[in-house]
Amino acid sequence: MERAEAGSYSKANSKKKRNYTRLLRNIIQGYGFMLPTILVLLVFILGPVLYAVFLSFFDVTLLGSTVLDYTGVDNYLRIMDDSRAKRALLNTALYVGIVVPVQTFLALFLASTLNAGLKGEKIFRIIYFLPTLTSSAVLTLIFMWMYNQNGLINNVLDKLNMPTYNWIGDPNIALYSIMIMNIWATAPLFMVIYLAALQGVPKNLYEAAELDGANVLQRFWHITVPQLRPITSFVVIMGLIGTFQLFDQSYIFSGGSGGPSNSTLTVVLLIYQYAFKSLGTMGYATAIAFMLALIILIASILQRVLSKEEQFN
Amino acid sequence: MKSKWWIISALLTFTLLASGCSGNDGTSGDGGSDGETEDGKTEVTLAGWSSSPEEEKLLQQQLDDFEEEHPDITVKHEVIADQYMDVLKTRLVGGEGPDVFYLDAVEAPALIETGVLEPLNSYVEDDFDAEDFEENLIDPFKDEEDEVYGFPKGYSTLGLFYNKEMLDEAGVEVPTNWEELEEAAKELTTEDTVGLGVSPEMARNQFIGESGSGDMVTEGEANFGSQEVIDALQPLVDLRNEDEAAAAPSEMGSESTGEMLGQGRAAMVMEGNWNVPYLNETFPDMEYGVAEVPTFDDTEATMAYTVSYVMNQASEQKEASWELISYLTGKEGMKTWTESGLELPARQSVAEELGYEEDEVRGPLVEGAEYATAWSDGPNLPTIYNNFDNEFLSAFLGEKSLEDALETGEEVANDEISD
Amino acid sequence: MERKRSWAKKLLYVVLITYALITLVPFVWALSSSFKTFAEISSGVMSFIPREFTFENYKQIFIEEELFFRWLSNSVAIAGGGTALNLLFNSMAGYALARISFPGKRVWFMLILAVIMIPVQVTMIPNYLILKELGWLNSYQGMIVPAMINATFIFMMRQFFINFPKELEEAASLDGLGRFGMFLKVVLPLAKPALAAQAIFVFMGFWNDFMRPLIIMTDADMYTLTVGLNSFKGQYVTYWNYIMAASMVFTLPVLVIYMFFNKFFMKGLSFTADK
Repeated sequence: MERAEAGSYSKANSKKKRNYTRLLRNIIQGYGFMLPTILVLLVFILGPVLYAVFLSFFDVTLLGSTVLDYTGVDNYLRIMDDSRAKRALLNTALYVGIVVPVQTFLALFLASTLNAGLKGEKIFRIIYFLPTLTSSAVLTLIFMWMYNQNGLINNVLDKLNMPTYNWIGDPNIALYSIMIMNIWATAPLFMVIYLAALQGVPKNLYEAAELDGANVLQRFWHITVPQLRPITSFVVIMGLIGTFQLFDQSYIFSGGSGGPSNSTLTVVLLIYQYAFKSLGTMGYATAIAFMLALIILIASILQRVLSKEEQFN
Repeated sequence: MKSKWWIISALLTFTLLASGCSGNDGTSGDGGSDGETEDGKTEVTLAGWSSSPEEEKLLQQQLDDFEEEHPDITVKHEVIADQYMDVLKTRLVGGEGPDVFYLDAVEAPALIETGVLEPLNSYVEDDFDAEDFEENLIDPFKDEEDEVYGFPKGYSTLGLFYNKEMLDEAGVEVPTNWEELEEAAKELTTEDTVGLGVSPEMARNQFIGESGSGDMVTEGEANFGSQEVIDALQPLVDLRNEDEAAAAPSEMGSESTGEMLGQGRAAMVMEGNWNVPYLNETFPDMEYGVAEVPTFDDTEATMAYTVSYVMNQASEQKEASWELISYLTGKEGMKTWTESGLELPARQSVAEELGYEEDEVRGPLVEGAEYATAWSDGPNLPTIYNNFDNEFLSAFLGEKSLEDALETGEEVANDEISD
Repeated sequence: MERKRSWAKKLLYVVLITYALITLVPFVWALSSSFKTFAEISSGVMSFIPREFTFENYKQIFIEEELFFRWLSNSVAIAGGGTALNLLFNSMAGYALARISFPGKRVWFMLILAVIMIPVQVTMIPNYLILKELGWLNSYQGMIVPAMINATFIFMMRQFFINFPKELEEAASLDGLGRFGMFLKVVLPLAKPALAAQAIFVFMGFWNDFMRPLIIMTDADMYTLTVGLNSFKGQYVTYWNYIMAASMVFTLPVLVIYMFFNKFFMKGLSFTADK
């Protein structure tokens, strides 16, 4: 567009003026495109977040006669010696550390196998889509039904002469049960994104590499992986955010307590407990929420820095 | 070409929004408590949960009766499907709470403290007969000045439910004290069945923890790590870990101890009267009996659970709301509600009228009302039982010693409370 | 070379089939449970084929839940309307963040990234208060408008547009298209794979949303399917046969919609031919 209009300006017009109109046009266009987003962001997201920031410096009772006691940074300091907060953070970290790499790799792997151009690929695609099309609440119910002590999984394990587990009740197992379920449920979701992105990788790159004698693995490693880097970055960051915010599954598994023995207590479940279970700890709940946001932010930035460094190698 | 799709879908959406808007304005306005319906009737909103289709039907019956008696009032019934207290609290904060709602005794003290509930003493008239209610059932809904904030719609107690066939086969008598219970549990344990099914939760076991001289909650703080409480709970844990005669539902693939009994996975369980319709309907072939909970050193004890109807302090329909509450918890309404035995009548007069004391199944449960520990213990109980449940389960499953588990739990709970 | 290839192909098939089984088993198991009697469910006998095939569980749901079709249409209206708006607005924002340089861009981008990281539990109450002020409780717009953009997918669209060939836009500008016209006519059609993926997720997000409708909708007429079915679940805690039937009923409409739009999605996800 710039080029087309630039031609119509006479040479007498100064460069400065041209830059100025371009800037103005970009502002109008940029904010025009962003307008719906900015409106919703301000009213329904930033507004409530600011309100929450405000609350995090108080002891708050919102019910009935609202009580606000200014406590400064006490709510933030309190996190330091809250043993349940530590436990929740450890559980969450373990969960993130295992689930994110596994589901990212599985998603990429499934997407590239589906993209290999085999016959019947469509059927597999539809099947693989199924978990994506099912609500997490329904999936959790189905899995709890299978994890049942006398359920399908233990029965199969028993038939294969393998040890059976109390998948939901055993404090040493429960978190891993949730991990298995979530990897199963989320990998196809990211697979879909990879699949979409794979369409954008030029086919001639592969053809050229094949002519050079590169095998499947080499092509995967030297073409697919680098070409998908922006998407991998997205998938990993989304994975980080999603796993750090694990709530539904541990809520349903433990009936909201985070038990047995705090083994399924996650940070968001803890936030939820402080925000709703006990009255008057709303401010503390928001303080933990901002600590969590900070942790996720740091993790995401780290991820970006690391993946950028890789690119230079 | 392709852009058309966008324009069409955007248009569609906006028409949809517009129609959603106007359709809504026509029917009910927003929120709940703004009062009058089109035909000049007063509308009262009533919110609760629904734990069984039968409960739903009974309540509808009560509401129909009420509306017939009060032609100027209509009741709008809302069922809050899940996370009842969260939804309710959010709506109350927004000033959009229902006029009348269910409140569990365990949540009552905290909510009373906040002042969102309407004090009811001034509404009560003589013919409502507030003295008729069992005292320990109504206590959780009173503040320190004896102001009442809610009247129980009914209550439930725990009794010992047992599988008659299994007891007969093993030649075991129905246990009446804790020693007999332990012996019976050991006798009754087979390869597929444990003697006693246990819900390892404070809500179900507080009376056991307090059967010695201990108190699980003192002055609003957790005290379940005290030696007295540990000693009282130890036999229950030993019954599973040493005698292998007890188990939790999740270990046997059940959702509740009631289901364990129904499926033949436990010979005895301590369950509430809500199990009576459940067992009759779901496991019609299993013959079961109900006895009072075995005694500890000759002391009778059990748990009692109450849910009350309370009024929103911000309600604009207080008179009509009181009419509704006084009907639902009055003699007539309560009779409708408790006739099927889903809940037990919190009014002595109704209990007598229905003759539950003579009932083979409900008799032992009604007996319990007198000596039961009400499941409510100050505003911090939700925090306290959450920590107890969390730790007690690992002790019960033999992952930790009971002493370790409960001491940790108590410490964490009190840390949470004191901040 | 050829032999090696067919080997690789077989291996790929084995992998694909194994994973397909892993994906299918839970669904088949749930489906078969939904046709079993309660007696069979609780007997502990494992079989994928019900001993006594019954439709009772499904009947029960439709009898108990007379408002079922009303809830279904609420869910479809909210999810459909919300998805259409999301696709448009998220792409617009993603495009602006990727391709237009305007002052404040970085700040907005960081803000959008940052808000994804705040758990919803914290903003639930303030959000409710705002909706109340707007008078949007118990309405479709109360469900749709606050969620008509999605930071996650703005971010995703930005990642997609960043790799977009500049030449296409330049060519379009030579045709005299304004920026918005170009966006609609050139950029969006080329973003179809991303839009298709996004459509699925956004639709599922609305479809599965539980907490928001539970809080916002107080009229039984305005419930969505999630809220309605959850109350059903609450009433039949240990009846896995009913719960599984309800889960199937809940999943089915999405499958139908998916099948209906299948072509569109598939085209979106594999438009290799046009390239």
